[in-house]
Amino acid sequence: MPNLQDQLTAQLLQTKSLPVSPIWLNNFLSTISAAQRNTPIPALTQTALFRLLNSDFRESLTSRSTTILPVEISDTNVQERRLTGTIPVQVLDIEDIGTSAWSQIEAIERVERGEAVRGREIVRTVNVGDDDQDERPAANANASNGPHRVILQDAKGTRIIGIEMKKITGLAIGKMAIGAKLLLRGVIVARGIILLTPESVTVLGGKVEAMDQAWRAGRKERLRQKITET
Amino acid sequence: MAGTKILCVAEKPAIAKAVAQHLSGGRVQTRNINGNQYVKNYVFDFNFGGRWGDCSVTMTSVIGHLTDMKFPSQYNYWTSCPPAELFEAPVRVAVDEDKTAIAENIKSQAQNSRALFIWTDCDREGEYIGTEVRNQAKEVNRNIVVKRAVFNNTERAHILNAARTLGELDELQANAVAARIELDLRIGAAFTRLLTLQLQPLHESLEGKTLSYGSCQFPTLGFVVDRYLRVKRFKPEKFWGIKVMHTRDDIKVNFLWSRVHLFDRVAVIMMLERCLMAKKAKVTKVNQKPTSKWRPLPLTTVDLQMMGSKYLRMNGADIMKVAESLYTRGFISYPRTETDQFDKGIDLKKLVEKQLPDQNWGQYAQGLLDGNFRTPRAGRHNDRAHPPIHPVCWVSPDKLNAQEKKVYEFVVRRFLACCSDDAKGQSTDVEIQYGDEVFHARGLIVLERNYLDVYVYDKWESTQQLPSYRVGEEFEPTEANIFDGKTTAPNYLTEPELIGLMDANGIGTDATMTEHIEKIKTRFYIGVHSRGSGRNAVKELIPTRLGIALILGYDDVFAGLPDSPSLSKPFLRKQTELEMREVCAGTRTRQHLVQESLDTYRELFIHTQRRMGLMKAAFERYIVEAADV
Repeated sequence: MPNLQDQLTAQLLQTKSLPVSPIWLNNFLSTISAAQRNTPIPALTQTALFRLLNSDFRESLTSRSTTILPVEISDTNVQERRLTGTIPVQVLDIEDIGTSAWSQIEAIERVERGEAVRGREIVRTVNVGDDDQDERPAANANASNGPHRVILQDAKGTRIIGIEMKKITGLAIGKMAIGAKLLLRGVIVARGIILLTPESVTVLGGKVEAMDQAWRAGRKERLRQKITET
Repeated sequence: MAGTKILCVAEKPAIAKAVAQHLSGGRVQTRNINGNQYVKNYVFDFNFGGRWGDCSVTMTSVIGHLTDMKFPSQYNYWTSCPPAELFEAPVRVAVDEDKTAIAENIKSQAQNSRALFIWTDCDREGEYIGTEVRNQAKEVNRNIVVKRAVFNNTERAHILNAARTLGELDELQANAVAARIELDLRIGAAFTRLLTLQLQPLHESLEGKTLSYGSCQFPTLGFVVDRYLRVKRFKPEKFWGIKVMHTRDDIKVNFLWSRVHLFDRVAVIMMLERCLMAKKAKVTKVNQKPTSKWRPLPLTTVDLQMMGSKYLRMNGADIMKVAESLYTRGFISYPRTETDQFDKGIDLKKLVEKQLPDQNWGQYAQGLLDGNFRTPRAGRHNDRAHPPIHPVCWVSPDKLNAQEKKVYEFVVRRFLACCSDDAKGQSTDVEIQYGDEVFHARGLIVLERNYLDVYVYDKWESTQQLPSYRVGEEFEPTEANIFDGKTTAPNYLTEPELIGLMDANGIGTDATMTEHIEKIKTRFYIGVHSRGSGRNAVKELIPTRLGIALILGYDDVFAGLPDSPSLSKPFLRKQTELEMREVCAGTRTRQHLVQESLDTYRELFIHTQRRMGLMKAAFERYIVEAADV
């Protein structure tokens, strides 16, 4: 009978195409209790997957040549190429290139002031009193429209720019956190840019808390920066 | 003279005169009253029918509000008490000093009258003024019977009908107004005294200026300042897009990118390259369908102010003044209404018929009667008090001055447009897929102009005709290029936009919005500047340094407090407005509304006092040092 580690590795690879690193998996198994070890494999796989999606892929995945980006991926001389196989990546940055940076800054500042705009009406979003506690915060309700430009990173740390060529559900500022995980299947790369389409991208979700926090804290400043550069 | 003695009181002298004319059929004696040259007593006989029968009537009027709510005289001096005391200080309602003659007239007439019929305007303020008149009458004649005439224009048949179907005063509406008056007085006086005493000494330009605060004024100013800051702080950005042109049958068809433009040059270049690589574009959709441009909805006050100031080159306050006078003279219906649906009972064709004599639109009206008439669209608002604004009768243009002509013409054209058919056309949409990108072109042919012929304010024009395309066919575009551009700052706020914002955010009522705008002009919080010239000139609202300092100062004062309270944003005022409606509906008492609102504002007042340093710093920065925003 195969040991637990092999079983989990196989499960994660088969169901999610994630080649988990033995060191990370060992670490994972050492953090869970004996009682949890005895739960059925599918349940344990779920726990491992949850941790994996919130980990840094550079630490949690092995870098096999078939599951990482080619080194010369960002070569802008290549007009078009198709990557074979399934490549897990994490999102390092996401930008809405369909909306001006300035109007994004204005939107951020409205949220900071506790307002949202509904048509011509300015709506208050902070909770006043106890009766509207279940109102959801505005940030989630106002996801960006896109298309989006993302920076993706594979298990080995190679970075590449991706452009959302067709609307991908779940890929938006406010919906997707930094460190969220994607699977790329047979994507096309043009001039060093990955063309993201619903057919070639699976959104797995997740986030890397530290990266996400830093990204949020710096977002307004980066948008300002972008304006002064153009 | 025979019969029961009846006293009728209208809100304005002109209404009293018009109603008296209709009821008396012209057999009327006009009498001056002591101490007021505008108010007259009209004495005539009239049969009110039912229990009243033949009556001897005195018709008179007030001039707006009769009484005033005040603090006792020991509070008159601004330094007589800490401003915060004004939240609790006693208040009393008394006849306004310059209205004493009018009140005396009502009392002396009421003394030996059997009944008092109230003819004030049928809105909240009117109900309240009605109670003011009633209180005067009851002081001298406790048993006088009080009734209310319900009317919304001064057309003869309508007035006669109102006189014979009298109703009751609406106490709830009057209560809501009473609550608002008390809140305005206490909150306004407390904040105004605090601000003026603390801030006036900071700069010579403020000498003698009252730094007033009003719960509607401030959010109104807030909108103007907010837009001003957005314009001033705006940073332009470059964008790029793809345009595709195809020549077929000698027609140059411009296809527009479905993404419009993007803010990433590299991405756009890559996308264009992929279009060019594909060489051919494929037609994915060809949609030919009848299309129409809808005739406008029946006219409300807010729409009259917005459209009016957009198309007639008059400001909202002037439009309302003119509309008021057109109403008083019986030419149009009551101009303060939220209703955008006509009641089924109203005979619209008869109203259309009245316009037949007109040189400009008489023929169009004839066309409606000859079969083009359509039942107007119904909007979603109905204030249950007044119909949409419409012409009551035709007026010869030589009886109107230039401004009156413009407003009357607008009301008539709008009304006729409502009763017309939508404009009809045929649109063609062609969508193509080119590389990974989607482009589309649209053609429009206007087939029937219908309402557009009379409603000259709307534009809908045919475009260039498209050559024919088949779904599935492929072609090589003649040109595909990248274009670039820059984002531009929003424009400063215009009055119609401001009215729209106030309406959407519940600041003021349709009746008072333009008054609030005028108020912040006279307080030197905002100014009006012209952009462009001639017919295309646009009047823009720009805050003064004082206006900016007040709003930014208040924002600083409340910054970081829990629940982000704000005096420059519309939330608080909107809350009060909603609660006033609850008072009108009887689901909240006047006392409850007053107490709760005062508690809220009192808390904000204490914060303002405590953090006055921040307010002063804002004045220092924006007024004394004239710093950039």
